[in-house]
Amino acid sequence: MIKRMKNILRIIGMSFEIELRQNLTDGFVMFGIVIQPLIVAFMALWMLKDKGSDYAIFVVVGSAMTGLWTTLLFNGGNSITGERWTGTLEPLVGSPSSLRIVVFGKVLANVTQSLLSMIGCYTLISIAMGYPLTLSYPFFFLVSIVLTIIAFVSFGVIIASLFILIPDFQRLQNTLEFPVYILCGFLFPITLLPGWTTPLSYILSPYWAARALHGTAQGTLEINQIFLSWGLLIIFSAVYIIGSGSLYRLVLKRARVDATLNTTG
Amino acid sequence: MNAIEIFNLKRKFKTTIGVIKRQTKEVIAVDGISFDIHAGELFGLLGPNGAGKTTTVKMLTTLLIPSSGTATIMGLDIVKDAEKIRPRIGFIFGGERGLYWRLSGLDNLRYFATLYYIDTNVAKKKIHELIELVGLKGREKEKVEGYSRGMRQRLHIARALLHDPEVLFLDEPTMGLDPIGARKLRMTIQNLQSVKKTILLTTHYMFEADALCDRIAVINKGKIIALDSPEQLKHSVQDLSIVEIEIFGIPPEFLERIRNLEFVDSVAVENHDQRQILLVQTPEGPSAVSALIEALNGLRLGNIVTREPTLEDAYVRLVGGKM
Repeated sequence: MIKRMKNILRIIGMSFEIELRQNLTDGFVMFGIVIQPLIVAFMALWMLKDKGSDYAIFVVVGSAMTGLWTTLLFNGGNSITGERWTGTLEPLVGSPSSLRIVVFGKVLANVTQSLLSMIGCYTLISIAMGYPLTLSYPFFFLVSIVLTIIAFVSFGVIIASLFILIPDFQRLQNTLEFPVYILCGFLFPITLLPGWTTPLSYILSPYWAARALHGTAQGTLEINQIFLSWGLLIIFSAVYIIGSGSLYRLVLKRARVDATLNTTG
Repeated sequence: MNAIEIFNLKRKFKTTIGVIKRQTKEVIAVDGISFDIHAGELFGLLGPNGAGKTTTVKMLTTLLIPSSGTATIMGLDIVKDAEKIRPRIGFIFGGERGLYWRLSGLDNLRYFATLYYIDTNVAKKKIHELIELVGLKGREKEKVEGYSRGMRQRLHIARALLHDPEVLFLDEPTMGLDPIGARKLRMTIQNLQSVKKTILLTTHYMFEADALCDRIAVINKGKIIALDSPEQLKHSVQDLSIVEIEIFGIPPEFLERIRNLEFVDSVAVENHDQRQILLVQTPEGPSAVSALIEALNGLRLGNIVTREPTLEDAYVRLVGGKM
C-alpha cells in the first residue's frame, strides 16, 4: 500500500515536472500564463480604481478564476491533444502507469502555474498602480486557494478524459468556457441565474472554490459557511477523483476500440 | 514455449466517406491471422504498406482491441490482461513521433522510467547504460528537437529497453535511417537477440529480415500468406531466375505486355530517378532475355543482368509483384 502510494506520488511529481518544463519552452503557453494575465489584471484594476475595494476584490478574484478555468480548459485539454499529435499518447497508455494519474500531474502543473501567475500579476499591478487589494480573512483565503487547486485539478481530470475520448473535442472547447464561468459564479452570484441551474452549480467543485475565495476575500461569509464551502468542495472533488477511475477505464477502452489514441489510427 | 500466441485475430476499422450523404465504410486491416512466436525468437513480419503489420503490433501491445480472435503474450490475454502485459513488453513504432521534442533525451528517459515504476537509483544507472548502448552519450542533455532522425530512433530503442522487457515489438525501427545508423541499430537488435529477448520485428527491408530473423511471416491485405525461415522462403523461389533490366521510362502497356508473357512469373519495377530497374522472375533464366528485349522493343534499355533469387524476390512473388 505504501509502495503503491509512493509510486503514485512519484508519477504525479514527474508528470508535473515534465508538463511544467514543456510549458516553459512553449512561447504560446508562456504568453497565456505570464503576459495575458498581466494585461487582464491591468485592465481590470484600471477600470475599478474608483469603485472601492469591496467590489474590486470580487472582480479581481472572479477574473482570476475565469483566467484559471480558461488556462485549465485550453492548456490542459490541448496537452492531451498534443500528446495524440506527437504520438506520445500511445506510449503513455501502453505504460503500466495509470493515465489518470499522469493526467492528474499534468493538470496540477497547469493549475498551479496559472494560479501563481494570476496571484503574482494582480499583486504586481495593484502595487504598481498604488491600489492595495485588501483581504478580509487572509488565512482562510490562503486555505481556500489550496483547496481551489484541488477543486480545479479534480474537475480538470474529468474534462481531460473528454479529450481522450473525442479526438476533435477542441472544436467544443469554447462552448465549455462560458457555461462554467456562469454556473460557478466566478464573476457574479449564481442567485442571479434561473433557479433550475442552481443544482448544476452545486455539483461543480469550482463553484464551491469560487464561493470560498469570494467569501474569504470580501468577508461576506460566516466561519461556518466557509467551512461548509470547503467541506462540499472536498466532497465533490473526492467524488470526481474516485469516479474518474471508472471513467478512464471506459474512455480508454473506447479509445482502443475506436483507434483514437493516435492520429494515424 | 511460445511467448506470443495469436489465433484468428481480426481487426476492422470504420471510416466515413462523403460530406452531406455520409456513409460508413468498414475496412478489414487484419483478417483472421494465426501464428505463434517462440520465447527468445526474433520473428519478422513483412508486408507492403497497409498490409496490417502496424495494426497487428498495436493489438499485441494492447493499444488496440481486436474485433475478434485472441492473442496472448506470455500466457496473458491482450484484452483481459492488458495491465499485466504492459510492464513485460516494450515497443517502438518507426518514425520520429512518440517523443517529447522540447525535452532532452535524458528527461524523456527519466519520465518513462518513472512510468515503468523503476526505482530512482536503478533508473539512473539503467539510463546511463542505455545512453551508452544506443550511442547518445554526450548528447543526452540536448533537446530532442535538435537530434537527427537516427538519434531519435535510438532514443526510442533506449526507452523501450528501460524496464528490461521480456518481449519487444519493433515496428520498422530502421525506417529512414542512414546506412550506418541502420547498421548500428541492427547490431543493437542482434545483441538483444543474444540475450534471449523475444522480438517481433516489422520491416520493409528484406536483407534486414534475412540477416536478423529466425522466422518470417509475410502479411498481405491482412492475411498471412507465408510463414517460414528465411532459407525456406528463399527456397520457394529456387526454381526461378531474376532478370534485371535497366530501362529509361516504361509505359504501363509495356509492363502489361511483359506480365502477359507465358514464361514470366512476376514483374516488379524499382524507380531510381530517371531510370527504372525491371525485375522479371522467370523459370527460363538467361534464355528469356531475348524475348524480353523483343517485348520492350522501342524503349531505351541499359544493363541486363540475370541472377539468383533473394528473399526480396520470394517476397515479391508472394505479394504479387506489386512494388
